[in-house]
Formats: sequence, C-alpha cells, structure tokens
Amino acid sequence: MTQARAIEVLRDRAERLRQDVRRFHAEVMPADLRDKSHRHQVLDKNDYVRWMRLLDKQGWAVAHWPAEYGGKGWSPLERFAFEDELARLSCPWVIPFGVKYVGPVIYAFGSDAQKQRFLPGIQTTEEFWAQGYSEPGAGSDLAGLRTLAIREGDHYVVNGQKVWTTYAQWADWLFCLVRTDRDDKPQSGISFLLIDMKSPGVTVKPIRTMDGYAHVNEVWLEDVKVPAENLVGEEGKGWTYAKFLLKNERTAGAIVGWAWHVLDRLKRHARETVVGGVALIDQPLMRQRIGEFELRFLALELAAYRAVEAMCDGTENGGEASLIKIRGTELYQDVMETLVESLGAAGVAYDVAALHSAELPPLGPDDAGGILKDHFYNRAATIFGGSSEIQRNIVAKGVLGL
Amino acid sequence: MSTDLETIAMLRDSAARYADDNYSFHDRWAVLDAPEGYSRKAWGDLAELGLLALRLPEDDGGLDGDAVAVGAVMEIAGSRLLMEPLFASAVVATGLLLKQGSSAQKAALLPQLADGSLILAFADEDAASDPCVLEGERLTGTKVGVLQGDVAGKLLVSARDATSGEPAVVMVDADEIGVMRREYRLVDGRGAALVSFDGVRVERLQPESGESAAAALADIRDEAAVALCAESLGIVNSVMTVTTEYLKVRKQFGRPIGANQALQHRLVDCFLLQEEVRALTAAAQQALAGPAEERARVVSGARAYVIQAARKVCNEAVQMHGGVGVTDELDVSHYFRRLMTNAALFGNRDAQFVRFVDAALAA
Repeated sequence: MTQARAIEVLRDRAERLRQDVRRFHAEVMPADLRDKSHRHQVLDKNDYVRWMRLLDKQGWAVAHWPAEYGGKGWSPLERFAFEDELARLSCPWVIPFGVKYVGPVIYAFGSDAQKQRFLPGIQTTEEFWAQGYSEPGAGSDLAGLRTLAIREGDHYVVNGQKVWTTYAQWADWLFCLVRTDRDDKPQSGISFLLIDMKSPGVTVKPIRTMDGYAHVNEVWLEDVKVPAENLVGEEGKGWTYAKFLLKNERTAGAIVGWAWHVLDRLKRHARETVVGGVALIDQPLMRQRIGEFELRFLALELAAYRAVEAMCDGTENGGEASLIKIRGTELYQDVMETLVESLGAAGVAYDVAALHSAELPPLGPDDAGGILKDHFYNRAATIFGGSSEIQRNIVAKGVLGL
Repeated sequence: MSTDLETIAMLRDSAARYADDNYSFHDRWAVLDAPEGYSRKAWGDLAELGLLALRLPEDDGGLDGDAVAVGAVMEIAGSRLLMEPLFASAVVATGLLLKQGSSAQKAALLPQLADGSLILAFADEDAASDPCVLEGERLTGTKVGVLQGDVAGKLLVSARDATSGEPAVVMVDADEIGVMRREYRLVDGRGAALVSFDGVRVERLQPESGESAAAALADIRDEAAVALCAESLGIVNSVMTVTTEYLKVRKQFGRPIGANQALQHRLVDCFLLQEEVRALTAAAQQALAGPAEERARVVSGARAYVIQAARKVCNEAVQMHGGVGVTDELDVSHYFRRLMTNAALFGNRDAQFVRFVDAALAA
C-alpha cells in the first residue's frame, strides 16, 4: 500500500471512530454523568471510575495499547480523533495515569510478572494510579529530583516528597521517579518505582488551588519500604522511561477538543446574550474577537492533523506534540478569558459548594459555575504536563538545533 | 479643589501602615472564612483612621478627598487585598449620596457612613439587564451584581422614572418589605447580591443643587472607573514585587529562573505595563475634573487599557510562578481573582473601549 493510501485508510477509521464516540455520547452514556460533565460540574472518584469502566466496555480504555496486551493498536490519528471528539462533547476527563502513562511503561519495559500483576487492573480501573514525578525543587527541571531510594536486601527504602500529584487522595498506586544513585549524573541515577499507596510512611496532603478544590496533593514518603520487584526495567534507566511516558503525556488530542468546546460555548453565549438590543455576537468588537479565535482554531486544527499524520507515517520532527500543546492551551485560555468576561456579573460569582450538587450557580447560565471552575483549573494548562516554556525549549533544541 | 499632597501622603501612609500591622496575607485567611466576606474589626479600624470619611466635606469631619486621595487608598486596597467595603460604600455609594442627597439625607447618613455603622451599596445598571422602573415612590426591577450588597444596610439604586423617562437615584433599606436579596460570593472572596425590587417603597435622592440624576450617575460611574484603575495599580505593584523576587530565588537547571533571557524580557514587558498603568491612572484622576470630552477619552481609555494590562501582568505572574501560582496558599492567585472582580465592575473593557474610540475619533 502506498503511503498516501495508508493515511486515507487511517483517516477513514478515525472518522468512523468519531461517529462511534458521538453515538456513545448520545445513547450509551448515563444521563447523570452526561449532564454533570455538560455543566462542568465536579466529578468524584466514583464518577471517574464509572466513566473509565464505561470506556473500557466500549473497548476504548486501552485501545491505543498493542493487541497482545488487550489493545487495538490504534494509530496516533485514531487516538487523537478519540480524545478530540470526547473533549468536543464535553465528556469527563479520561484519567491518564493508568491507561496512558504507566500502562505503556509497564508493557514496554516491565517484567512479565509486572505485566500480569498490573495491566489488567489498569485497563479496568480496578486500581487507581497517580504520578509521582514533580518535587518542590524539581518542576520544569525534572532531573533535579531528590527523592531517594536505597536498596536494602529485597526492598528499597524511599524518602522524599512529591508535589502536584493529581488525585493522590484516590490512588491505590503511585508510579514514582526516584534517585537510586546519589553520585551519578542528574539523569542517570534515576529509577522508576511502583509504590503501593497503602505502604506505611506514605502521607497525602491536599493542595488547594484557586478553583477552591484540592485535585492535587503533596505526597510525603518517609522510610517507605518498596519491594525490589516493583522496580520497572533497570535501575538507573528511569529517565529513559520517563521520557517515553512524557511523550505520551503530550500527545493530547483533548487539548484541541477543549479549545473547540469553549469556543463553541462562547459562540452560543454570544448568540443568546443581547446587550443594548444587539446580540453580543453582532457587536463589532466581540465579532472580531470571536472571528480571530475561529481563525486561530482553524490553524491549530490543521496543524494538529498534519502533526498527528506525521506521527503516523514516521515523518515527525519531534516538535509536533509541543506545537499542539502550546497553541491549544494558549487558545483555550484566551477563549475562556473572553467567555468569562462576557458572562459579566455571572463571570465573577462563584459558589464552590454548588459545583458538587445539582444546584444552579448564583447567576447566569446553568454552566456558569462550571465554566469558572474550568477557567481556574486550566489556568494551569500552560504549566502542567510540561510548561509552555519547556515546550518551547524542546522545539528550540530538538527541532531548530539551537 | 484638590486635596493637598500632605493629606494624600498621610492617607497612603496610614492605610499602608495599618495593612502592614494588621492585614498580612496570613491575617487575611480569617477574613476569607468570615461569613460577611470582610472583617468587622478591620472595618471599625478603617473608620477610626478616618478612611471612611475620605470623601466627606471637611465641615462633616471628612477629608474632602479628591480622585488622587481616593486613588491613594484604593491602591493600598488593591495591593493588600483589603476585603472591606471601602470601594463599594466609602468611595462609590458615599460619593453618590454626596452628589444627590438632600441636606437632610446627608445630615442623617454621613455620620453613620463615617463611623462605619452603615454600609451603603450602589446598585447600578447592568448592560445586559433592563433598568429598574420607578413609578411614583415604588421601585420594580432587578440588579444583578451588587458588590457587597449582601452586607449593605441601605442601597442606592439607579432607576428610570416611568413618568418622565429620566434617570433617577433612589434609596431603600436593604431589609424593606419587597426587597429580595440573593447573596453570593465573588471569585475574590468578597460578597455580592442579586437584588430584586417588587414595588418597593423607596426614597428619592433630591439634591438642593438641582443637579440631575443623569449627570450625577455619569460622574459617579467615571469616578468608580478611575478608583478601580488605582486598585488595579495596587494589584500590579504587588504582583510585580513578588514575581521579580521569585525570578531571583527560584532555581531550576542550576540557576535562578530569572537568568533566562526569555523570562527577563517578559518581565520587562510587564514592568512597562506597570509604568503605563501608573501613568494612565494618574491622568484619569486629573481628567475627572476636566472638560467632558477629554474626560470620556482619558477615563475610558485608561480603564480599558488598565484592565487589559493588569490582566496580562497577573497572567504572567501566575505563569512564571508555575504550579504554586495557581495555589490558594500563595498570594498570586488571590491577586488574579481580585482583578477578575475589578474588571467586571462599572463598565467592562469593551464598553470603555467603545466610549474611548468615540471620544478619540470625535475631533
């Protein structure tokens, strides 16, 4: 098959997948979950577990895994289409820590015993995972991490502190970057450990963020005993595995879908809101602003498709994921800022408690509170998962050779 | 007449010293948890310091403060994130009462405003909703985002007179029968209310001077916009101080993050915005007393630019702080939220920009 034909086949598959996702959203997804996520309400652990299992039932939770581990071997294009479509429909977040992050590391680098022990529970979200990467002194500079794992007989003793650990309060397991060799170069002394959150010495402290919630945590590790069999791959190779994982973290089609969704929401709001007898969308300033967002979205979408197709046929330059993340998150934040501003008084009225219940926000449309929550949460979208600055460094170094 | 420089320096110093001693970011946690969304104790202290009488005439024991004097206090309110209804009551509502109240109304209320026993809030039009209608002495309609309308004892309300079709300003007790208040919190932690009036009996404000309500409303909206510029300046000043410091002390890749030229240039751009915000705020304060067209041009231009500039600085401050920038435990995210509320009050950016363009291109 020629390369041009091959990509046509993938495009067809991706388009069919989008249709399946839309049908699933309309016909299969439970109404309460759909309504909650439509209004951008806060989801609890139970909601997320239900959601992840629902995806698994459709065969989608690990469809990007190879067939031998229960996946469908989705191409980057199908994966992108899937995440993009879910986000456009304002579906719940596909919690990535198990299925997207640690799962692939385990099947790519783990032992047979680890594959048998962990992959099934990851696929079904029987076990909930969290990511122990960042530390107070190691954010953008991940290689500066200090958490120490000392080998003592058949186990490691781990001491240190992780930070920004999303949903650590719900997690059964933590995959963790630790330093196993104090004297080595920053990147070569790092190892990849799987830590049972029930181990003595693990303490989770919530960090409240400006949306009023504590999605993220500090995780303190004090003399935590971790069986040596929970080391993934080889000691000292953790950095290689981490880079493999970060690549997965950054191939987020969801970013494009979120940008589409908030832009759609802005347009709806601008059509429905009449100020001084004229719909917002027909007021010159707003019309121009929305028009510019539309144009930026068009460029993002086309560049993202081109990038993902390059990943499919192996012609990527290494900057594709950074491009999608930088452009996608920046557009998302700009659109969100305009949406919140255009909500007027409702755009500054915030009732945190109402976001947990079926209660309406104090003012404005039904989803005004949820929009604000997302505005706050995603202010960090240009920070988490590799900040915009780090993404630009990646392109400068890796693509432009600077 | 303008307030003398000595008085302004005194105001600024006493407000800043008070905040230093009693209103640290740490002290403020208790205020955020207070059901009123402000500290009654601090409110009493601000009254003691004479700050609530900022705008009152000297004959009424006030400081007769002009826009520069108001700005000095608003700047501190912004830079220290004061939650008390200084802006809502002492600056805006008191200012409107001074313009539109009768001698008797002022004599009755000014002492209570000065000693803090009365919080007065001004419920103004919202571009997206219909004006309240005044039929005789009965008021009907709804006001959405009334800043600190949740804790106000009385409300001033802008309305349209059903008979004359002219704007009017009325006063009503917040607990009067027929007044419905839905109280809520703003993103920055202060309170607000949605207030509905169902044929409520109200008192008209009728000044002996005969100044029209329309003129007084136009004046107070501009004064409010200029005061908000000063609050933005205070926010920008604080955010720049903490961010500059952070770039010097936060180390990644073996050196301070401020050693990266990419970040240096971005911080310089923020500094340029800070200087522009300062200049525009000062110009807008002067323009309030000037001719109408010049006032519209400078005040609305300043407000439109300052909202945008301050937002940019706050966004950059969060971004340069990284993860800690969005946490509740660091002040940066609180400045970010305070600015959101600020930008939604008294005419948003687009409304101010349109007015600026009309004035600038009128010549």
